[in-house]
Order: sequence, then structure tokens, then C-alpha cells
Amino acid sequence: MSWSTMPVSRRGLVDTAINGEGCTDQVILNQWYPLAAIVELRPGISYQTVLLEVEVGFGVTLNGELIAWRLDCVVIPAGNPLPAENFTDKLLVQSAYGYLWTSLSAEPKELFSIPETNEPDRRSINVATIGIATSAPRAVENFLDMGHFPFVHAGVLGAEPHTEVFDYNVEIKDGEIIATGCKFPQPQAAPSSVGAIVTDYIYRVPHPYCVLLYKSGGFDESRLDVIGLFIQPISQERIRASMFYSCVDNISSDTALRRFQLGIFSQDKPILENQVPKRLPLSTTAETPIRADKSSITYRRWLSDLGVTYGVISAN
Amino acid sequence: MALSQPTENICSMTTQELTQNDPISNWYPVANADDLPFRHTFHGKLLGQEIVIWRADDGNVNIWVNRCLHRGVRLSRGLNNGAELQCQYHGWRYANRTGGCTYIPAHPVDSPAQHLSCKTFPAIQSHGIIWSGISPEGVPPKLSFLDGLTPLNLRSLPAKAPADSVNEHLSKYMFHPDNQTDGEGSSLVTTKAYDNYFQITATVANSTSTLALFAQPVDEQSTIIRGVIGVPHNSQNVLTVLRYHNNLMCKLRDVIEADFELKSKISNTFAAVSNPRSATRNIANNSGSVSFLKVRVARKWSTAKDVVGLELLPIGNQQLPTFLPGAHIDVFLPNGITRQYSLTNGPGELDKYRIGVKLEQVSSGGSKYIHETLSEGSIIEISTPRNNFPLRRDSTRTVLIAGGIGATPLLAMAQVLEKQKLNYELHYFAQSDEHLAFPEILNSLGNNCIRHFGLSVEETLAKVRESLGEHNSSENLYVCGPGPMLEATRNIAADLGWPDESIHFEYFKNSKIVSFESSFEIELARSALTLNVPAGKTVLQILRDNGIAMPSSCEQGACGTCIVKVLAGQPDHQDVYLNDSEKKRGDKMLTCISRALSNKITLDI
Amino acid sequence: MIKLYDFELSVNCYKCRLLMSILNVDYEIVPVDFYPGFKHKSDEFKKINPLNHIPVLDDGGYVIRDAHAILVYLATKYDSTKRWYPIENPELLGETASWMLFAEGTTNTASAARLNVNLGYDFDLEKVQEGAHKLFRFFDEHMWFRNRSGGKWVCDSEHPTIADIALFPDVVLAEEGGISLIDYPALRLWAERMKRLPGFIVMGGIFPASADRIN
Repeated sequence: MSWSTMPVSRRGLVDTAINGEGCTDQVILNQWYPLAAIVELRPGISYQTVLLEVEVGFGVTLNGELIAWRLDCVVIPAGNPLPAENFTDKLLVQSAYGYLWTSLSAEPKELFSIPETNEPDRRSINVATIGIATSAPRAVENFLDMGHFPFVHAGVLGAEPHTEVFDYNVEIKDGEIIATGCKFPQPQAAPSSVGAIVTDYIYRVPHPYCVLLYKSGGFDESRLDVIGLFIQPISQERIRASMFYSCVDNISSDTALRRFQLGIFSQDKPILENQVPKRLPLSTTAETPIRADKSSITYRRWLSDLGVTYGVISAN
Repeated sequence: MALSQPTENICSMTTQELTQNDPISNWYPVANADDLPFRHTFHGKLLGQEIVIWRADDGNVNIWVNRCLHRGVRLSRGLNNGAELQCQYHGWRYANRTGGCTYIPAHPVDSPAQHLSCKTFPAIQSHGIIWSGISPEGVPPKLSFLDGLTPLNLRSLPAKAPADSVNEHLSKYMFHPDNQTDGEGSSLVTTKAYDNYFQITATVANSTSTLALFAQPVDEQSTIIRGVIGVPHNSQNVLTVLRYHNNLMCKLRDVIEADFELKSKISNTFAAVSNPRSATRNIANNSGSVSFLKVRVARKWSTAKDVVGLELLPIGNQQLPTFLPGAHIDVFLPNGITRQYSLTNGPGELDKYRIGVKLEQVSSGGSKYIHETLSEGSIIEISTPRNNFPLRRDSTRTVLIAGGIGATPLLAMAQVLEKQKLNYELHYFAQSDEHLAFPEILNSLGNNCIRHFGLSVEETLAKVRESLGEHNSSENLYVCGPGPMLEATRNIAADLGWPDESIHFEYFKNSKIVSFESSFEIELARSALTLNVPAGKTVLQILRDNGIAMPSSCEQGACGTCIVKVLAGQPDHQDVYLNDSEKKRGDKMLTCISRALSNKITLDI
Repeated sequence: MIKLYDFELSVNCYKCRLLMSILNVDYEIVPVDFYPGFKHKSDEFKKINPLNHIPVLDDGGYVIRDAHAILVYLATKYDSTKRWYPIENPELLGETASWMLFAEGTTNTASAARLNVNLGYDFDLEKVQEGAHKLFRFFDEHMWFRNRSGGKWVCDSEHPTIADIALFPDVVLAEEGGISLIDYPALRLWAERMKRLPGFIVMGGIFPASADRIN
């Protein structure tokens, strides 16, 4: 096992925490957020980060217990040993999909489930956590988008001249957005793919700042790979995005899978960082949607209906 | 913009001020001409507004709001292909001159809504400087001190200080006409022409040198110092002059920046433009599409046997509207006759419209009037371009089949395909060489234009069959020509296995996803008006035709801007904005795309 | 065949890939899980590079570390025209070397800022950003005067050198580290020129220049 000896840096993150107005959005405050991949945490050492403009400490104790706390309550600078005794002002924590999740709320909304991850022969890996200078909803919307494949992921997830986005279905079911029947011709859909295939996609948005994608990975047509994007909002316009990958590929190494997903992610990053404004405008006239944007239209309306105000520009 | 009269004052400086101008109405330098080399996209900022500046291959300089209309990505990250600017995110394309959206790759068969245009700013190039402004009045300053000299643009220097504090220092810029020693000892006359612009003359003994310095207000925290100096023609020491002033100006900048304590590092750009809603205002504001415009016949020439070409120029400072390849305009002739002609323009060619008119044997007065009576210099009225024949740009091969004058819309398409280096062939069937219209355009297409002369009907059809070949996926056919040729080509293509959706005729409705075929009545409850919506027209168009203002944005049933309440009747929704239960309720519809399943539908307008 | 121990998102690895692509040198990538696996810190990798960093190049058993050293090696060995590393022109060689050192500075500031913002590496962000701006101001002025005297590349030569390669990704990816390039028009122009070199390849974050171009 190797883990990061590098505490998550809070330099550069602190500014936003101090200068922001803080989060008062109850919908957003009541969610779970990922802070780090558990395997990357060195037991007994404290880490620091910023969540919704609040400085948060976290770590794994030498006993293997996950903990998180507000730094304004208990000050233990990053890189110091975690004390053995229990804190009194702990935040709720849980382990899910390889990540340590926490919430600033005492009664957060239950974290969504990904039933596929319970299948015994599946591999689940935490691909990486990357900082991006954008809002969480912009990142979610980009993840839901297929039209950019030939331009941003040329030669991998799409290739000109095949640019058309065909009609697909979007519905809201059990409080989640589900998009089905999405198809796109892809030169290299997965690290194990050889040659171009038309890939079928299902998208799922179970959390305002988390999104999942199901696609056939090529090894077993009946079993879909799951790719998740879980976002830790630092502030309204700054995030750390964690990527999760669960597949039935038993050939590619973790390194190869990571390299592939990170490569894609790094192509989206400059696009996200060059969107103006950084917060997602919910007014239907602020930007110009087209039919291909059905899932993003639904996402924006869904955020409006939920009453989300953090990371967005409200319609009214 | 005249300079105020300078007064001389040895070993000191004088500054005269003119009245302060409103920053919104000023011209500002925003780039140097040599910042815009071939196919470059330049990222700039003026008064808190981010701009993208790019020069098209025809020399025109475009200055636009630096945001793609679709998802707000900076267009300065996009690609300048010489005629259109392409966004990096989804490949949306915008035309040179108008900023009009010409292509949305996710929906290759749909024409983008006519009003989808980037907000543009004026651009004028003079003295090696690109000038712009938010809504500038008059013309940029004329720098008459450069008369008889070669203008030399100094290196521009960004300074972390607001324009006001920069101006204070610019007025004290000291230099020596020998381009060596610092400014001490020279006689300097400084004139403040207006906000952000100084003209300074340095004199020592018999030698004198004049330059102009400008402060480009970038935002509340930063300014770009620009300058231009005159040197004698063929001057040998250009680099010496540039280095001399660069050094002095860098020193001045250090002073400016040290002087101005950054109050806060947090960017606090001008409220008016950083507000995303106002920055995108132009997207939703449909100023009502201009339906008619007056143009001048600037050139009329014989381009082929019995075919005249017409170049139509806008009158005054008007900008011709964006067109899509394959589009046509209505021409309203002074004799009361209206005729449709296809535009033969290449992509981004929006300084004029170019059409070809064939003299019809049995003319009821349209082509005959144009050929015989219409003269260069005449003013005529035309409609804005419409497109019933949109070109997909996602084909692996495009076959264009043109018969006679039917070539005109295909010429516009071929120029787009050529510019984008896509795989295509234009087969042009004509009686002889002298019947080929617009040979200069055909020549620009190189080997992709294949000319066929004097073939019999059978030979023509055999050639069409040979050119088409069997259909492979993502291949498309566009055909325009005499009726029998259209029909025959269509049959041959079908016979070779070309599916219906890959065969495009003008006026051929391709997509079955959205249908505009029904006709019905709309009753406007609040206006007490009943209007007929015929096949091929949308409710939105009919409302606007009848003077009823209705906001719209995407015009394809996605954004919900043009939504109205339905009071009675059953809507045929066709949109992607409303969800299933809303559709079932049937109490709302989108006027851009929804129609009626009932004969009549009552709207709350 | 040449082996490159590589991480896709590393600017230093990219410099090596870019030069090998331009020189048309065949190579094989050995992916190293630099982030988040930190495999370059592993004992196993220590056998390849005792300093525990990437890239490392293995050319038939000859192993060399450090991007800028690898560029020197590759250009000397595989560029028969001797233009990328001009060993036959002492003045130009000196100039190239001084800009290679300058590139160490941009890597330690601009690219360090990117590591902090993207991956949470513990650098003082404000300090490295400020350092990058200082270097970029100087570099932009240099490139503006190079352009004005008809030059296209970092050094005073007709042909680009490995100094261009060493500086290119530090500049182009600086915005990921929160360092805006809006004030450096001469650097943006030079970067676009780099993208039009025959054999140019992209990496995540770097997009190609417009496909249509003269010649």
C-alpha cells in the first residue's frame, strides 16, 4: 500500500473560505460530500481542506476510524498527528465508493446508492481528485454533455465529422434525473476498446453535485461500467472533483485505467475554467440551449425546482 | 477629434485638458494591428468587458463579446478558420462581420435561429492600432503628427493600476529625440487630447520627435499603455527607437505600479458587464428580425451566357445579416415583382451579397427586368436570407449536383466545404464552358469542381450514377437544377441505396422529428385576434408578422423563452423543454415549434 | 526501443513526448501512477530513478532523468541537422542553455502553481504565481522584440531549439495555475506558432491551433 505523504494543501484554498459569503443554501448544506480517497490517507495524520467555505480537518485514526471536524472548532494543523481521544465537535462521516464523505449538516439527506458496486467481481477504483476553478453545477452539466465529445475529446470519445447528437430520453424518477437511450459513435470508448464503436450511455444525477454515467465497457455487454463524478464544493466557483470508476475489465491495470480517465478529465478542465460566468445560470435565456441539451435543460430546471442557490445564478 | 492648441514651455510641461468624455462613447485602442496575424484569435479586455479580436482572411477585424452563446466558453479559446470563428467546446461557428451563428454541429440539419449572433463591437484600424469602444461616437482620433512619417507602434505595456492613475503618469512621460539619453533637458510639450490620450513632442536644438500615448482601460485594476511614434520612412534605427521607449516606459510602469497600491486582489470588474444577465442580454433580446433591407447594386456583370451576376452592398453603415450556405433572398424589384435568388457567397463573406440571375425564356418580368433595366447604382429592397436547404458539415463525403443556374446555392455550400477541407465534389452540368456561372468561384474550388459539358440526357444520368456510387453511411447528396433532373437524380440515388434522409433538395423537408406541415388557427384571447398559421410557418413567425412582440432564444423548442399559456385547444408540443406531465396538461406551449392538433388553439396573448 | 517513464498530465513528461514526436523518434510509454498513486515515490521506482521523479528515459539501457537533460540528449542524438540543440554554433548553444535555465524557473513557478491548484501540491500559490508573472513579463518582452526583428523562436535562430520545447507547456498551461496570459500577447503568438510545428502533439489542456493555415 502506498498513500500520499502529502497533506491536501489548503494554501490557495483559504482565500475563498475567508472572502466568500458562506453557504446558506439548505439543500446544499444538507448533502454528503467526498473529501478524499480513503486509501490515500495516511492513518494518524490530520488533513485539511475547505468545504462550502468552511475549513475542515479530516483523517483516519490509527484505529482506522474516519473523522472530520470543523477547523473553527478544533484546530489541528495539517500534517500533525491525530489525537487518539475522540473529538466532541465531530462532523458526520461515512465511507462510500472508496471516499471519505462528510456533511456540515447534522441530518444530511441520505447518500445515493450505486447497487452495481456490490457485485463481487467488479473493480472499483478512485481515479483521482482534481481541483478545478469552476462551480459544481458547471462540472456536472459538462459531464452530462455528449455534444462536446468530437471537439474536446477528439479521437477518444468522439471524432469529427460525426457530431450529431441523436434524440434521447430524460426523466425525473424518484427524485433523480435519468437520461437513457444516449448514443454516440466513439473512436476509443474505454482503455480496452479497439476501434470505433457506437456507445450507449445512461446518465444519472442523484445529488445536485454528483453525477453517474453507465456505459458498456466491452467486456460483458450486459454489465455496464459506472463512472462517477463526485464534487467537493470549496466555494461557489472552486471545486475538487473526484472521479470514481467501477468496471468489469479484468485486463487493464489500475494505472492504465487511471491514465485513460485522467486524460479525458484533463481535456475538460480548460473548457470548464473558460466558461463565463463560472456559476451555472438557471435562467432559460441566459445561454442558448439546443435539443441536444435536453439533460442539461432538465438539470437546470431540477436545480431551480429544488431551490438550489449555491453555485448557480438563480433565474429570478 | 481636434487637438487643443499646445503651448510651449521650455524645460517643463504643459497639459491642457479637454472636456471629459463618457467612457462608453470613447474610442480606445484595444490591440495593435500586428497582434492579429493570420488566423490568430486575440484575447482582450476593455472597460471590464472581455473581448475576442480576430482578423478574417478578407482583412476584416472582428471584435466580439468573448463568450460562446451556447455555454459561455471564451471564444478566444476557439479557432479562427479565416471566415468563421469556431468555439472549442461544441464547434459552434460564427460568421466574420456579423458574428451570426452559422452552424451547430450537434444538429447538422438544422439552421441556427436567425437572431443567434455574438454581440459585436465596432473595429477600426488606423495608425497600426485597432480601435474599439462600447458604443463609440464619431471616429477614432486622427494622429496628424504622423503625416509624412511611418507610424511605429511601441510595445504595449499592461500595468496593474487603473486608467486614472496611469494617466497622471503618462502626462509626465519624458524622452529625448536622440533615442539615447533620458528625457531630462529636452523641451517637452504635452497635450491631453481627451481622456486616456496624450500627445508629447520632445525638442532639443534642431531635433524633434512626437509620440502619442494611450491608456486602454482594461478594468478597475489594470490598464494597457499603448503608444505610437512617427519615424522617417525607411528609417534604419526602428529597433533602437522601440527599445529606447520600451525601456523608458517599463521604468514608468514600475513607478505607476509602485504608486498604486492594489486595494484588493479580488477582481471587481465593472458591475454593468460582469453581471452575467446583462452580459448575455443580447441572446434573449430578439430585436425582431429585420425582414427587409435596402441594398445598392454595386456591380452587375455577365458571368455566363444569359446569366448576370449582381453584387448587392448595404447602404450606409448597415451590416448585412448572416446567411447559411444554401440560403436565398427575396428580391423586390421596382416593377413590383418579387423573385428568390440563392446567395453564392463564401463563408464569412458578408461585405456584400452576390447572386446570379438567368434570363428566363418566358420571363414575366423578373429576370428580364434585371437583365435589361436594372443598372449599377440602383437601390433595391431585399429580404433577410432564409434557408430551406441547410448543409450538414458532418458528412464523410458530400456530393453536390448542379444543373445550369441551379448551381448557385451549391456554390455557397462548396465554398464552405472547401474552406473546412471536407471531402466533397461539385458536379456542374452545363451546355458548354460559356454557360458556367461564376467561373472565378469554380476555379477557387480546384479539383473538387468537376465540369460536365454538353451531355445528352442519358449521358447526364449515367454520369450522375457514376458520381454518386453506392451509398456509405454519413454521405450526403445536395442537388439543384431543372425539375426533371432533380427527379431523375433522386431516383438514381434511391436506386443506388441512398436513403431519403441523405438526399437533399431545396424545399425538401428533411427532418421528420419536427413537422411544420399542419395548418391551423390561433385565437389570441387578449388581443381579440384570430390568425391563420399555414404549413411551413411557425406560430412565432405569424405573431411577429402581425406586429406582436414575442421574446425567443433558441427557436428549436429547447429554452422555453417563447412559452405561452394555452387557454383552449390541444397543442402539438414537439419541444424538449416541457416535461411529460406538463405536455399532458397541455396548458402551455412554445410558439417557436409547437403547433395545434385541433383546428384552432386559443392563446393567452 | 526507447522507453519513457511517463505521466500523462506532467508538463515535463510532455516536453519529452513532444520532442520525440517532432523528431519522429519511436518510443514506448511506461505509465507511472504519479497521481494519485505516488508510484514515483515507491521503492520500486527508486531503482529507476533514485531521486524519485519523472520523467526518466531509457534508451537501450542508457538511463537518463530530468526533462531538460532528456531534451539535450534526444536532440543531440536524434536530430542529425543539429538545429534543435545547436552544438556546432557556440553562441547559439550558449543562448539555448541560458533559456533552458530560464525554463527551470518557469517550471518551478508556473507549473508549480498548476500542481497546487490541480493536485493540491503544497506550494505557496500566491508566491509561485507572482514569480511566474515576473518571468512571463520578461519573456513576453523578449518575444515581442524577437518578432519585431523577424525572429519566430526563443533563441536568435531561424529554427526552434529545445528551449522552445522546454518553455512551451509551462506557458500554455499556466492558466490552469491561475496565471492569466491575457497580458502576454507575444507569448500567446509564439505558443500558437509552436502548435503549428510539423509533428506537434497535444496533451490534456493543450488544444491544437486552427487546422487551416498557410502552406
